[in-house]
Amino acid sequence: MFIKIQLIIGALSIVLLFITFELIRKERLREEYSILWLFTGAATLIFSLWPNFFLSKFITQVTGVYYLSSVVLIAFFFLLLIVFYFSIVISKLTDRNKELAQRHALLELEFNEFKRRYSPPESYQKRGLTIGK
Amino acid sequence: MNFIENRQKILVIIPAYNEEESVVKVVLEVKTHLPHGDILVVNDGSMDLTSEKALAAGATVLDLPFNLGIGGAMQAGYKYALEKGYDIAIQVDGDGQHDPKEIPKLIRVLEEREVDMAIGSRFIGDSEFKSSMMRRMGISIFSKVISLILRQRITDPTSGFRAANQKAIRLFAFDYPQDYPEPEALVLLHQCGLKIAEVPVKMSERFAGGSSITTIRSIYYMVKVLLAIFVDFFKKRTLLE
Repeated sequence: MFIKIQLIIGALSIVLLFITFELIRKERLREEYSILWLFTGAATLIFSLWPNFFLSKFITQVTGVYYLSSVVLIAFFFLLLIVFYFSIVISKLTDRNKELAQRHALLELEFNEFKRRYSPPESYQKRGLTIGK
Repeated sequence: MNFIENRQKILVIIPAYNEEESVVKVVLEVKTHLPHGDILVVNDGSMDLTSEKALAAGATVLDLPFNLGIGGAMQAGYKYALEKGYDIAIQVDGDGQHDPKEIPKLIRVLEEREVDMAIGSRFIGDSEFKSSMMRRMGISIFSKVISLILRQRITDPTSGFRAANQKAIRLFAFDYPQDYPEPEALVLLHQCGLKIAEVPVKMSERFAGGSSITTIRSIYYMVKVLLAIFVDFFKKRTLLE
């Protein structure tokens, strides 16, 4: 009876796993997010291919929900896509942020070095003298 | 000694996060044992006086604007080493568990055995190192996995006491693993065809602070690093020329 939805969700979770893997390979997804998505993909795969899995029985018992309406399902997958996209964007931003922080620190160090080297000695500054003019 | 005659430029990179109690001692010890080397303390967004104290002790201080974690801090150090044209970069922890007396030994191995990175290991030779069961177990699992991948025995893959030559500096300036970088960095080196050797060193108890890896976190640490190493196999590496 549930064989169709089972197949659809199974196929989707395989696609999810594959996309996650591709993104990790291309370094578009950071590891902390990729672990989450790999687990999500694996979990949906298990639930769809193995409906009598002890956890699915437990969830059915607790919630009393036997099937999801297609609307909820579609909305759910759209949300999934959006959240997934967010993890990609955050991964990219985190990397850029790191690069920026490092560059900032290196430039600041260099700048302080120059400042120390080229600023006039303090005794000059006190007497209001400037160098180079 | 060879490296003194060669007039190599040597940089000691000390990443430090809230380590005002130990960083001065580490800097001064490095100065005693490696008088011709430069010292760079990478202050990883500390909230205490780490930066000021390191500066007062005579180190160059690279202040990161916020905490990047050990991987980001180390990479910043390697970027500095690359930009300033250092021949050798040495990582020493800011918490004082690495004995700067052993630095010349690392450099010697780097040159005599013609490897790109020398790692100070707690577990070869006469060093007896006490640590918790969990950590020992974790380290032994890493050691087995990494040894298998590298087809070379690595006894202490989590050791952060390392010396890198120019090739390794360049690689790490462009690409360095993030959260718990030590074991992963070895895989990275191997994939880019760089050579690694281990050196027996003594490590002491930390002067201050605990390990960044607590017992609760160690399982997460294990899973994450093993997964990262696994994923590294499939990553596209831009090889440096």
